[in-house]
Amino acid sequence: MHVFLTIGSTRFDSLIASAFTELFLSSLRKKGYSTLVIQCGNSAFEFSGDIQNGETQTLSRAGVEIEFWKFKPSLQEDYEKADLVISHAGSGTILDVLRMPKPMIVVPNPTLLDNHQEELASTLEEMGHLKAATVENLPNVINEYDPSNIVPFPPFDGSRFARIIDEVMGFI
Amino acid sequence: MFFAFFVLTVVLSVFRLYIILPGSRKRSSHVVRTPRTYTIAVYLGSGGHTSEAVTLMSSLDPNKCNRRIYVINDGDDLSLRKALELETKVAKQEKSSYSILSIPRARRVHQSLITTPLAALYSLMVCSYHLTLLPLFSHGHRTFADILILNGPGTCFILCIAVYINKFFGFHAPYIVFVETFARVNSLSLSGKLVRPFADRFVTQWPDIQAVQERSKHWLV
Repeated sequence: MHVFLTIGSTRFDSLIASAFTELFLSSLRKKGYSTLVIQCGNSAFEFSGDIQNGETQTLSRAGVEIEFWKFKPSLQEDYEKADLVISHAGSGTILDVLRMPKPMIVVPNPTLLDNHQEELASTLEEMGHLKAATVENLPNVINEYDPSNIVPFPPFDGSRFARIIDEVMGFI
Repeated sequence: MFFAFFVLTVVLSVFRLYIILPGSRKRSSHVVRTPRTYTIAVYLGSGGHTSEAVTLMSSLDPNKCNRRIYVINDGDDLSLRKALELETKVAKQEKSSYSILSIPRARRVHQSLITTPLAALYSLMVCSYHLTLLPLFSHGHRTFADILILNGPGTCFILCIAVYINKFFGFHAPYIVFVETFARVNSLSLSGKLVRPFADRFVTQWPDIQAVQERSKHWLV
């Protein structure tokens, strides 16, 4: 099984650093995940020098085959291939992944100014759509996570906004 | 004499602003137009704001909303790409038109506080040129748009000011619809707080106090 880890358009040093630790990788291995792709963004970590010009690097550690790079124009393909997506708690990524639908663990980025990632993550966790974690408890959350308990995310419904605009225009 | 004139100008300006602010008068319902088509302008602010704004635009029937204007920041290639992606899907279905309007950023990340007001003023001038001057002197479309959709970030406030310049002088001004981002569950964003007094329609996607299972009814993206 395959895991995709993404941190968005900025940097998330602590999450990327922990993704390369034996502790994290062995928790994945225990749950049957043997391949991992990491989108690193501009994070600084032990191998960031190896990908700074847009390269893709591979590495094998704790029985997990790892591929990592900085950015891609679209992550749609990576979401599709993944059996589990681990991500920062950006709202765009959350909407994209839950609508696939794919099981998801989000880690709010505590270094972001005006941090509202936390409130979105915990609210959606309360509703049962995803699992929220911190960098520290991520290996535990992976161990305990059972994707079969996910509450399905409601599909996109464009009629609500269309109705608002129709009201504004005086059509209804 | 000059002072009296100055005070009179200020008083009249404040009174004018009071009249044009939403909520200071009874909301008049819009007249049904024939044909039932309209022009929408939408600001694609970057990243998550752009994704949500493009999703909102995808909700609209291109037969009714037959002219679409995407307002993007100079050099924001990602937003440009997302707008064009959506338009390729629309073009497959309908005959309708769209345009891209590129405006200078009001503030770059890490820009110094001294040059920010200058950049914001320049951005406002460009916005005013497109929202006020062009429609006033053009023979084609006499109005910029019927509706302007904003969802942040802070820079969208410049467009809001440009709309209010039109309202101030009694020119045709788009109806401002602000949609707070899906990311804000418990509190408004800075742009939400800024635009709120000026928006003709202010929409949030999460209710403040309600049972968890009721919330999903309000998502727009």
